[in-house]
Amino acid sequence: MAKYPRIKLINGEKYFFRFDLDLRIQHIFLAGTVVILVLSGMPLKFSDASWAPYLYALFGGIDMAPTVHKITGAIMLLVFFYHLFWIAKVIYKNHYLRMKREGTYTTKGFLLRVVKLPMVPNMKDLKDIIDLMKYLFYFTSVRPNGDEYTWKEKFDYWAPFWGMFIIGASGVIIWKKELFTQVMPGEVINFLFIAHSDEALLAGLFLFIWHWYNVHFSTSVFPMGTVFLTGYLSEDLMCEEHYDYYVKVMKEEGYEKEILPPHGGGHAPSCSDYAPKVSGGGASFENTSEVDTLKHPAKEGGTAA
Amino acid sequence: MLLNLIKRPHWSFGALVIALCLLPGWGLAADMGNCLLCHKYPGLSRIDNDGKMKLMFVNEEIFNKSVHSKVKCEGCHTDITKIPHEPAKPVDCLTVCHIIEPTSEQKFSHKSVKKFIDEAVHSKIDGEGKPKKFNEDMPNCKDCHDNPLFRPLAFVKKVRPGVAEDAMGRCRVCHEKEDFIFRFYNHITTRLHKSRSPLNIAEACGKCHDDKEMVKRHGLTIMAGSSYADTFHGKAANLLSETIPDCLDCHVVKGKSVHQMYGNDDPRSSTHPENRGAICNSVDCHPKASVKFANYQVHPVYDREKSPVVYWFTTFFYVLTGGTLLPLMIILFLDLLRRLFPNATFKRRK
Repeated sequence: MAKYPRIKLINGEKYFFRFDLDLRIQHIFLAGTVVILVLSGMPLKFSDASWAPYLYALFGGIDMAPTVHKITGAIMLLVFFYHLFWIAKVIYKNHYLRMKREGTYTTKGFLLRVVKLPMVPNMKDLKDIIDLMKYLFYFTSVRPNGDEYTWKEKFDYWAPFWGMFIIGASGVIIWKKELFTQVMPGEVINFLFIAHSDEALLAGLFLFIWHWYNVHFSTSVFPMGTVFLTGYLSEDLMCEEHYDYYVKVMKEEGYEKEILPPHGGGHAPSCSDYAPKVSGGGASFENTSEVDTLKHPAKEGGTAA
Repeated sequence: MLLNLIKRPHWSFGALVIALCLLPGWGLAADMGNCLLCHKYPGLSRIDNDGKMKLMFVNEEIFNKSVHSKVKCEGCHTDITKIPHEPAKPVDCLTVCHIIEPTSEQKFSHKSVKKFIDEAVHSKIDGEGKPKKFNEDMPNCKDCHDNPLFRPLAFVKKVRPGVAEDAMGRCRVCHEKEDFIFRFYNHITTRLHKSRSPLNIAEACGKCHDDKEMVKRHGLTIMAGSSYADTFHGKAANLLSETIPDCLDCHVVKGKSVHQMYGNDDPRSSTHPENRGAICNSVDCHPKASVKFANYQVHPVYDREKSPVVYWFTTFFYVLTGGTLLPLMIILFLDLLRRLFPNATFKRRK
């Protein structure tokens, strides 16, 4: 993808491409709607809690908050449908059409290719989880070398995916209950209320504790991860979390000589501290900017100045 | 889950109290018998024969803003004829009191209520006139009705909350006494809407219907108040919605009074299986809803025996939540610990 170089050099630091603008906008919408939905929904679930009326009042209280909740939910569902469409588009363009063009298309081959997409959970994830357990229980000092997307990221993606389906579907039916109960038995609404609110509590806790810890509060990224805004991940975090993929990209982009050792291979909590330093920072900077100009001639003027 | 009393009086209430105090001529008590001579003292109390302390203090200011403020003390306390008096008997609300009912010009009484209540589900007697079992549990007037204050209409607040000055102006054309105008206006407007919030109603009913012993004694299947609190209706009531249906909206037949509630097996009852569909799809609530819609459990029971499907469905989500979050929280915690000692390991490094 020419629009997004896989490695961007800014002040001699390497940044690795993760998410394009389209995905980042989808994420912002998703994150924003989730926060509003949780804040405007939980006071109802815990209506007898002392904080509930105050939080609910922020969204207009019982007369307004349900409307806020419904509109926000509708926006979230639109994002969800757009995302489904986006997945279909990517698979169609990058895989189906490409295979057709290359003349290699078979249904089985196509399905195999879809199953092997980087976001689909695989055996490597299982291995990484086992390796992580070994690391967390001090059996080894080597962290698992993550691929393009780690099992954590896949969990963070597929858990809300399932949640969105459950909460979205139940939410729409509860919203239009008079319509749906023309055919559905009324008792179903009781089950949908349970599903909607319990699944939402799970999703809220999951995102605000687990996801936020991993992307913002963990000591490696604190106070805030910026990849959701910039789309690029720093080299430090890249080799801490995605070492296998990092090595692959470095090789493919011609930075083979600058590959850093894996995090955990040494004694430092972050791999850049372990980078081979060439006689002082200046020399090293010169070195990288040279590569920079080689790989990205467009930036030549900038580095020369 | 118990309904939680949120002690947050509506601001308009306070404003009304202030407004009432500013009104000239307000504060004329119906104290013809000079009862306040003694009862105005806040400490007036005594220990009765059961050893309980009884407070006899009457707050004149509050009493004057209540719906009974025009009734003379001896209008209800009929056994008191002289001062000082013997210990007063409990007031019988069906007494004929010293106030003239303007439409019939007869002395006013709540007696007709008895006729309705004797036939209804809360009566102390059965169909044949014999006392019901555990009839002492059945509510008396004062179990549901305290001496309520006038509740101002919220939607006509223009000059003073709950008081439409232009409407009052129309009254003043013919009626001279400001005191009368204000009281009559309040009497009418208070009755134009619910005189209590849904939460207040649910709590009043819950006093008995959430009492485990009483529910068991009378063979009721559910805890009415707490199960209501588990639905959207109850939760909205808890968050002080004024428009959400409370107990009475469903259990009182439209156009009848609360004193004419019947058991679910009575065909006159609004909650009889045959009539239930018509409650939900009333124009005010869920118009166009089908009869199926009324099968929604407005009093859900999360009990393994009574509703196993709901029980296991809920359990599934508990397990899903715990099963997802617990391992992740453990990993998170271990990760934090690991970061304290990034290089420690049981195994000797090669």
